[in-house]
Amino acid sequence: MLDLDDELMECYQKGDEGAFTLLVRRHQQPLINFIARFINDRDTAEDLAQETFIRIFKAAHRYKPGRAHFKTWMYHIAKNLCKNEIRNRERRDKYKVDNVVDSGSDGNNQTEKIDLIANAPANSGFQPEVELERKELRNAIQKSIAELPEQYRLPLVLRDLQGLSYDEISEVLELRSGTTKSRINRARLMLKDKLKPFI
Amino acid sequence: MNCLQAEEYFSAHFEDALDYETLQRLGEHLTACETCQQEYARFQESVKVVQQLPQIEPSPYFMPTLLQRIAEEQRGISGVKGISTADWRQLLDVFRRPIWAFSGILALILAVTGTYLSQDGFLFDRDSRSAAVTSEPEQIRVVTPPVEIRRTVGNGSQFRPGGVLSTPARPLQQHYVLKQVSYANASTGGGL
Ligand SMILES: [Zn+2]
Repeated sequence: MLDLDDELMECYQKGDEGAFTLLVRRHQQPLINFIARFINDRDTAEDLAQETFIRIFKAAHRYKPGRAHFKTWMYHIAKNLCKNEIRNRERRDKYKVDNVVDSGSDGNNQTEKIDLIANAPANSGFQPEVELERKELRNAIQKSIAELPEQYRLPLVLRDLQGLSYDEISEVLELRSGTTKSRINRARLMLKDKLKPFI
Repeated sequence: MNCLQAEEYFSAHFEDALDYETLQRLGEHLTACETCQQEYARFQESVKVVQQLPQIEPSPYFMPTLLQRIAEEQRGISGVKGISTADWRQLLDVFRRPIWAFSGILALILAVTGTYLSQDGFLFDRDSRSAAVTSEPEQIRVVTPPVEIRRTVGNGSQFRPGGVLSTPARPLQQHYVLKQVSYANASTGGGL
């Protein structure tokens, strides 16, 4: 039996263009969140999420509903785009002579990006002190995630922020199940240590 | 089981995924080792706070920009990238800075006022606008009139009834320019 994503892909393959829009609506938010947490940059996250959907759109006719999982396919494409982006940034930073001056003078970009994520609406009524503490914690979490090595950050984000199963994560990352589990455990242990001042 | 081995099972324990035997061995270690007890409590807490991070909402530009890009793909336009979400955000961010926001508003006010005044006849009345047109002959002057027109205009008799050529003694080229302007005026009046 096909899941909803596969049904929508099938409809789209048969010419129903609205089915693709529905797929995008279903997955846009989780995808943007995954990319934003992984590369720690909200603006670029939206562009990369769009690029992911464009690639899916272009390859849609080759997709075989029932054989693959749409969600893992989508995250697989996004993961590769993110890795390229990170590689490009590293290359750019390496040759950027005034890198240090920039980050110091331009309002501290890194903090600004983290703040965007931390500024998401809170659940309860507004209490300045509680809100400040919560914001600090969110900033610390986001910063700690961003500092994790990529091989640990990826499975952690997919598991704890995107809620994928271990099997799905293994499929996205093309890892054996045991490796996925041990990396997620290692990532959580690292985060626990990084968040020690806050917890 | 030692402390390092116990740590390896933290995630599985947190997710209730341990088999009975391992669960018992871990339980024994946690009961006996205060450090691991505390570490496991902090482990649980940190996983929970990470899982509770709020979701980021897609920006309002996300869907329209994506649909535009897909439409471009469908039309077979490759390599042409529309204005990205980041571009829009960057553009709007410029106006978050007070000086730019102020300049933007000022420019807008000036543009609106200028348009209003010029349309309502505050800056130019109809006659002076016509004068403004006749006073800039540079663009038309480059056109050389055909020989027969030069000849007819040259004696000053043909265009005098229009009232434009009041001084036939002016140079030929100047007469030709004025003739063009008189036709232009006639057409805006609905005559030609
Ligand atoms: Zn211990």
